[in-house]
Amino acid sequence: MAFIKRQPGEPLQQDERKRERECADLLRQLGDPTPAARRWAVRDLAGCSDSSQALVELLRHEQDSSVREIILTTLTQLGDETAVAALVSYLRSEDVTLRNEAVEAMKSLPDEVSPIMGALLGDPDPDVRIFAVNILESLRHDQVEEWLREVILQDPHVNVCATAVDLLGEVGTSYSREALENLKVRFPDEPYISFATDLALKRIRST
Amino acid sequence: MKRILIIDDAATVRMYHRGILEEAGYQVVEAVNGIEAMEKTLVEPFDLYLVDINMPKQDGYGFLSDLRSGELPQTPAIMISTEASSDDRRRAYAAGANLYLIKPVKPVELLLNCRLLLGEASP
Repeated sequence: MAFIKRQPGEPLQQDERKRERECADLLRQLGDPTPAARRWAVRDLAGCSDSSQALVELLRHEQDSSVREIILTTLTQLGDETAVAALVSYLRSEDVTLRNEAVEAMKSLPDEVSPIMGALLGDPDPDVRIFAVNILESLRHDQVEEWLREVILQDPHVNVCATAVDLLGEVGTSYSREALENLKVRFPDEPYISFATDLALKRIRST
Repeated sequence: MKRILIIDDAATVRMYHRGILEEAGYQVVEAVNGIEAMEKTLVEPFDLYLVDINMPKQDGYGFLSDLRSGELPQTPAIMISTEASSDDRRRAYAAGANLYLIKPVKPVELLLNCRLLLGEASP
Protein backbone atom coordinates (compact mmCIF):
# COMPACT_ATOMS: atom_id res chain seq x y z
CA MET A 1 0.00 0.00 0.00
CA ALA A 2 1.35 3.39 -0.92
CA PHE A 3 2.17 5.69 1.93
CA ILE A 4 0.45 9.04 1.56
CA LYS A 5 2.04 11.78 3.57
CA ARG A 6 -0.46 14.18 5.16
CA GLN A 7 -0.01 17.86 4.66
CA PRO A 8 0.61 19.70 7.96
CA GLY A 9 -2.60 21.77 7.95
CA GLU A 10 -4.95 19.11 6.68
CA PRO A 11 -6.17 17.35 9.86
CA LEU A 12 -6.85 20.66 11.54
CA GLN A 13 -8.99 21.81 8.62
CA GLN A 14 -10.95 18.60 8.76
CA ASP A 15 -11.41 19.06 12.52
CA GLU A 16 -12.60 22.59 11.98
CA ARG A 17 -15.07 21.54 9.33
CA LYS A 18 -16.31 18.71 11.55
CA ARG A 19 -16.65 21.11 14.43
CA GLU A 20 -18.60 23.59 12.33
CA ARG A 21 -20.98 20.82 11.32
CA GLU A 22 -21.34 19.75 14.94
CA CYS A 23 -22.03 23.29 16.09
CA ALA A 24 -24.60 23.76 13.34
CA ASP A 25 -26.28 20.51 14.42
CA LEU A 26 -26.30 21.62 18.03
CA LEU A 27 -27.84 24.96 17.09
CA ARG A 28 -30.58 23.11 15.19
CA GLN A 29 -31.22 20.92 18.25
CA LEU A 30 -32.08 24.03 20.27
CA GLY A 31 -35.45 23.82 18.55
CA ASP A 32 -36.01 20.19 19.54
CA PRO A 33 -39.37 19.66 21.32
CA THR A 34 -37.71 17.45 23.98
CA PRO A 35 -36.20 19.36 26.93
CA ALA A 36 -33.50 16.70 27.37
CA ALA A 37 -32.33 17.17 23.76
CA ARG A 38 -32.26 20.96 24.16
CA ARG A 39 -30.41 20.61 27.46
CA TRP A 40 -27.66 18.46 25.94
CA ALA A 41 -27.36 20.74 22.93
CA VAL A 42 -27.04 23.81 25.14
CA ARG A 43 -24.43 22.12 27.29
CA ASP A 44 -22.34 21.07 24.27
CA LEU A 45 -22.58 24.54 22.72
CA ALA A 46 -20.12 25.68 25.38
CA GLY A 47 -17.53 24.51 22.84
CA CYS A 48 -18.97 26.61 20.01
CA SER A 49 -17.71 30.16 20.19
CA ASP A 50 -20.46 31.83 18.17
CA SER A 51 -23.44 30.35 19.97
CA SER A 52 -24.15 33.05 22.60
CA GLN A 53 -26.76 34.90 20.57
CA ALA A 54 -28.70 31.69 19.87
CA LEU A 55 -28.69 30.87 23.59
CA VAL A 56 -29.89 34.36 24.48
CA GLU A 57 -32.74 33.95 21.98
CA LEU A 58 -33.63 30.52 23.37
CA LEU A 59 -33.74 31.80 26.95
CA ARG A 60 -36.36 34.41 25.97
CA HIS A 61 -39.01 31.72 25.49
CA GLU A 62 -37.58 28.61 27.18
CA GLN A 63 -39.99 27.34 29.84
CA ASP A 64 -38.13 24.28 31.13
CA SER A 65 -36.20 25.26 34.25
CA SER A 66 -33.42 22.70 33.74
CA VAL A 67 -32.78 24.02 30.22
CA ARG A 68 -32.86 27.61 31.48
CA GLU A 69 -30.32 26.75 34.14
CA ILE A 70 -27.88 25.19 31.69
CA ILE A 71 -28.30 28.11 29.25
CA LEU A 72 -27.11 30.50 31.97
CA THR A 73 -24.22 28.22 32.87
CA THR A 74 -23.17 27.89 29.23
CA LEU A 75 -23.40 31.64 28.66
CA THR A 76 -21.16 32.19 31.67
CA GLN A 77 -18.69 29.63 30.32
CA LEU A 78 -18.70 31.22 26.87
CA GLY A 79 -17.99 34.57 28.51
CA ASP A 80 -17.83 36.54 25.24
CA GLU A 81 -19.18 40.05 24.82
CA THR A 82 -22.69 38.87 23.91
CA ALA A 83 -22.85 36.41 26.80
CA VAL A 84 -21.60 38.89 29.39
CA ALA A 85 -23.96 41.59 28.16
CA ALA A 86 -26.84 39.13 28.39
CA LEU A 87 -25.90 38.02 31.91
CA VAL A 88 -25.65 41.61 33.11
CA SER A 89 -29.01 42.38 31.49
CA TYR A 90 -30.52 39.44 33.38
CA LEU A 91 -29.27 40.98 36.64
CA ARG A 92 -31.23 44.10 35.67
CA SER A 93 -34.33 42.13 34.72
CA GLU A 94 -37.69 42.70 36.40
CA ASP A 95 -38.12 38.93 36.30
CA VAL A 96 -37.05 37.87 39.81
CA THR A 97 -36.70 34.23 38.81
CA LEU A 98 -34.42 35.07 35.89
CA ARG A 99 -32.33 37.37 38.10
CA ASN A 100 -31.92 34.65 40.72
CA GLU A 101 -31.11 32.03 38.07
CA ALA A 102 -28.41 34.33 36.64
CA VAL A 103 -26.94 34.94 40.09
CA GLU A 104 -26.89 31.21 40.86
CA ALA A 105 -25.25 30.38 37.50
CA MET A 106 -22.57 33.02 37.95
CA LYS A 107 -21.82 31.91 41.52
CA SER A 108 -20.53 28.58 40.30
CA LEU A 109 -18.11 29.90 37.69
CA PRO A 110 -15.35 31.91 39.40
CA ASP A 111 -12.89 31.95 36.51
CA GLU A 112 -15.50 33.13 34.03
CA VAL A 113 -17.06 35.72 36.31
CA SER A 114 -13.95 37.23 37.86
CA PRO A 115 -12.95 39.30 34.77
CA ILE A 116 -16.34 41.07 34.79
CA MET A 117 -16.72 41.42 38.57
CA GLY A 118 -15.10 44.85 38.63
CA ALA A 119 -17.61 46.11 36.08
CA LEU A 120 -20.54 44.57 37.97
CA LEU A 121 -19.44 46.11 41.28
CA GLY A 122 -19.04 49.47 39.52
CA ASP A 123 -22.42 49.38 37.78
CA PRO A 124 -24.45 52.58 38.22
CA ASP A 125 -27.50 50.56 39.34
CA PRO A 126 -27.23 49.67 43.06
CA ASP A 127 -29.42 46.60 42.54
CA VAL A 128 -26.89 45.19 40.06
CA ARG A 129 -24.12 45.88 42.59
CA ILE A 130 -26.11 44.03 45.27
CA PHE A 131 -26.51 41.05 42.94
CA ALA A 132 -22.78 41.19 42.21
CA VAL A 133 -22.10 40.92 45.94
CA ASN A 134 -24.59 38.03 46.09
CA ILE A 135 -22.56 36.30 43.38
CA LEU A 136 -19.44 36.66 45.51
CA GLU A 137 -21.18 34.68 48.26
CA SER A 138 -20.33 31.34 46.73
CA LEU A 139 -17.59 32.40 44.35
CA ARG A 140 -14.45 30.56 45.34
CA HIS A 141 -11.90 33.12 44.24
CA ASP A 142 -8.81 34.63 45.88
CA GLN A 143 -10.01 38.17 45.35
CA VAL A 144 -13.38 37.90 47.12
CA GLU A 145 -12.29 39.59 50.35
CA GLU A 146 -10.56 42.40 48.44
CA TRP A 147 -13.67 43.04 46.32
CA LEU A 148 -15.86 43.15 49.43
CA ARG A 149 -13.42 45.42 51.23
CA GLU A 150 -13.49 47.85 48.30
CA VAL A 151 -17.28 47.85 48.39
CA ILE A 152 -17.54 48.78 52.07
CA LEU A 153 -14.81 51.40 51.71
CA GLN A 154 -16.25 53.12 48.65
CA ASP A 155 -19.80 52.22 47.68
CA PRO A 156 -22.17 55.07 48.57
CA HIS A 157 -25.31 52.90 48.79
CA VAL A 158 -26.20 51.54 52.22
CA ASN A 159 -27.76 48.32 50.95
CA VAL A 160 -24.78 47.43 48.77
CA CYS A 161 -22.55 47.88 51.81
CA ALA A 162 -25.01 45.98 54.01
CA THR A 163 -24.93 43.01 51.64
CA ALA A 164 -21.12 43.13 51.49
CA VAL A 165 -20.68 43.34 55.26
CA ASP A 166 -22.88 40.26 55.74
CA LEU A 167 -20.55 38.30 53.52
CA LEU A 168 -17.38 39.76 55.02
CA GLY A 169 -18.54 38.32 58.34
CA GLU A 170 -18.23 34.90 56.74
CA VAL A 171 -15.14 35.22 54.56
CA GLY A 172 -13.32 38.23 56.03
CA THR A 173 -10.03 38.23 57.92
CA SER A 174 -8.26 40.77 60.10
CA TYR A 175 -7.27 42.48 56.83
CA SER A 176 -10.80 43.90 56.61
CA ARG A 177 -11.08 45.04 60.23
CA GLU A 178 -10.20 48.68 59.60
CA ALA A 179 -12.57 48.90 56.63
CA LEU A 180 -15.38 47.51 58.78
CA GLU A 181 -14.71 50.04 61.53
CA ASN A 182 -14.71 52.75 58.88
CA LEU A 183 -18.10 51.59 57.57
CA LYS A 184 -19.75 52.36 60.90
CA VAL A 185 -18.38 55.89 60.64
CA ARG A 186 -19.70 56.26 57.08
CA PHE A 187 -23.24 55.25 58.11
CA PRO A 188 -23.61 56.43 61.71
CA ASP A 189 -27.41 56.59 61.59
CA GLU A 190 -28.04 53.09 60.29
CA PRO A 191 -28.62 50.59 63.12
CA TYR A 192 -28.47 47.66 60.72
CA ILE A 193 -24.96 48.61 59.54
CA SER A 194 -23.83 48.91 63.13
CA PHE A 195 -25.38 45.51 63.99
CA ALA A 196 -23.97 43.70 60.95
CA THR A 197 -20.53 45.29 61.27
CA ASP A 198 -20.22 44.38 64.95
CA LEU A 199 -21.27 40.84 64.10
CA ALA A 200 -18.68 40.61 61.31
CA LEU A 201 -15.92 41.99 63.57
CA LYS A 202 -16.84 39.49 66.28
CA ARG A 203 -16.65 36.61 63.80
CA ILE A 204 -13.32 37.82 62.44
CA ARG A 205 -11.88 38.10 65.96
CA SER A 206 -12.95 34.56 66.76
CA THR A 207 -11.28 33.02 63.68
CA MET B 1 -47.77 35.54 72.31
CA LYS B 2 -48.01 36.62 68.65
CA ARG B 3 -45.93 34.56 66.22
CA ILE B 4 -43.98 36.21 63.41
CA LEU B 5 -42.21 34.41 60.56
CA ILE B 6 -39.13 36.11 59.09
CA ILE B 7 -38.41 34.93 55.54
CA ASP B 8 -35.01 36.06 54.28
CA ASP B 9 -32.01 34.25 52.83
CA ALA B 10 -29.55 36.58 54.60
CA ALA B 11 -28.73 35.23 58.06
CA THR B 12 -27.61 38.61 59.41
CA VAL B 13 -30.88 40.24 58.37
CA ARG B 14 -32.86 37.47 60.08
CA MET B 15 -30.81 37.89 63.26
CA TYR B 16 -31.27 41.68 63.21
CA HIS B 17 -35.05 41.48 62.80
CA ARG B 18 -35.34 38.62 65.28
CA GLY B 19 -33.48 40.61 67.95
CA ILE B 20 -35.80 43.59 67.55
CA LEU B 21 -38.99 41.52 67.59
CA GLU B 22 -38.04 39.18 70.42
CA GLU B 23 -37.07 42.11 72.60
CA ALA B 24 -40.58 43.45 71.99
CA GLY B 25 -42.11 40.19 73.17
CA TYR B 26 -42.93 38.38 69.94
CA GLN B 27 -42.23 34.74 69.20
CA VAL B 28 -40.07 34.60 66.07
CA VAL B 29 -39.48 31.78 63.61
CA GLU B 30 -37.15 31.96 60.58
CA ALA B 31 -37.20 30.59 57.03
CA VAL B 32 -34.61 31.03 54.29
CA ASN B 33 -36.97 30.98 51.30
CA GLY B 34 -40.62 30.79 50.33
CA ILE B 35 -40.72 27.01 50.21
CA GLU B 36 -39.44 26.62 53.77
CA ALA B 37 -41.82 29.37 54.88
CA MET B 38 -44.81 27.55 53.43
CA GLU B 39 -43.73 24.28 55.05
CA LYS B 40 -43.59 26.01 58.45
CA THR B 41 -46.90 27.75 57.82
CA LEU B 42 -48.64 24.46 57.09
CA VAL B 43 -47.42 23.05 60.44
CA GLU B 44 -48.57 26.06 62.46
CA PRO B 45 -49.85 29.36 61.04
CA PHE B 46 -48.34 32.73 61.96
CA ASP B 47 -49.86 36.07 62.92
CA LEU B 48 -47.54 38.09 60.66
CA TYR B 49 -44.99 37.53 57.92
CA LEU B 50 -41.88 39.56 57.12
CA VAL B 51 -40.97 38.65 53.55
CA ASP B 52 -37.83 39.42 51.56
CA ILE B 53 -38.16 39.56 47.75
CA ASN B 54 -34.97 38.10 46.33
CA MET B 55 -34.47 34.60 47.63
CA PRO B 56 -33.34 31.38 45.93
CA LYS B 57 -35.79 28.54 45.22
CA GLN B 58 -38.90 30.64 45.79
CA ASP B 59 -38.90 34.44 45.97
CA GLY B 60 -41.11 36.65 48.10
CA TYR B 61 -43.65 37.33 45.35
CA GLY B 62 -44.15 33.61 44.81
CA PHE B 63 -44.55 32.93 48.52
CA LEU B 64 -47.08 35.71 49.00
CA SER B 65 -49.11 34.61 45.98
CA ASP B 66 -49.23 31.06 47.35
CA LEU B 67 -50.14 32.33 50.81
CA ARG B 68 -52.96 34.48 49.47
CA SER B 69 -54.36 31.77 47.24
CA GLY B 70 -54.22 29.19 50.06
CA GLU B 71 -55.89 28.93 53.40
CA LEU B 72 -54.46 32.11 54.92
CA PRO B 73 -55.50 34.89 52.57
CA GLN B 74 -55.93 37.43 55.36
CA THR B 75 -52.75 37.00 57.45
CA PRO B 76 -50.82 40.29 57.28
CA ALA B 77 -47.50 40.36 55.47
CA ILE B 78 -44.80 43.01 55.24
CA MET B 79 -42.53 42.82 52.24
CA ILE B 80 -39.04 44.11 53.01
CA SER B 81 -36.70 44.80 50.13
CA THR B 82 -33.67 46.74 48.99
CA GLU B 83 -35.61 47.76 45.89
CA ALA B 84 -37.19 51.18 46.22
CA SER B 85 -38.90 51.74 42.87
CA SER B 86 -42.65 52.31 42.63
CA ASP B 87 -42.85 49.36 40.25
CA ASP B 88 -41.45 47.05 42.95
CA ARG B 89 -44.03 48.39 45.38
CA ARG B 90 -46.84 47.80 42.91
CA ARG B 91 -45.73 44.24 42.33
CA ALA B 92 -45.47 43.60 46.06
CA TYR B 93 -48.97 44.87 46.71
CA ALA B 94 -50.29 42.96 43.71
CA ALA B 95 -48.77 39.78 45.15
CA GLY B 96 -50.59 40.37 48.42
CA ALA B 97 -48.34 42.47 50.66
CA ASN B 98 -50.04 44.68 53.25
CA LEU B 99 -47.02 46.92 53.55
CA TYR B 100 -43.72 47.51 51.72
CA LEU B 101 -40.64 48.60 53.65
CA ILE B 102 -37.19 49.46 52.29
CA LYS B 103 -34.08 47.89 53.85
CA PRO B 104 -32.39 48.63 56.12
CA VAL B 105 -35.38 49.03 58.42
CA LYS B 106 -34.87 50.93 61.64
CA PRO B 107 -36.09 49.16 64.82
CA VAL B 108 -38.73 51.79 65.62
CA GLU B 109 -40.14 51.61 62.09
CA LEU B 110 -40.26 47.82 62.12
CA LEU B 111 -41.98 47.58 65.49
CA LEU B 112 -44.50 50.31 64.76
CA ASN B 113 -45.58 48.67 61.51
CA CYS B 114 -45.72 45.19 63.00
CA ARG B 115 -47.94 46.47 65.83
CA LEU B 116 -50.18 48.26 63.38
CA LEU B 117 -50.71 45.16 61.27
CA LEU B 118 -51.22 43.00 64.35
CA GLY B 119 -53.90 45.40 65.59
CA GLU B 120 -51.87 46.40 68.63
CA ALA B 121 -51.41 50.09 67.90
CA SER B 122 -53.24 53.01 66.35
CA PRO B 123 -51.85 54.69 63.23
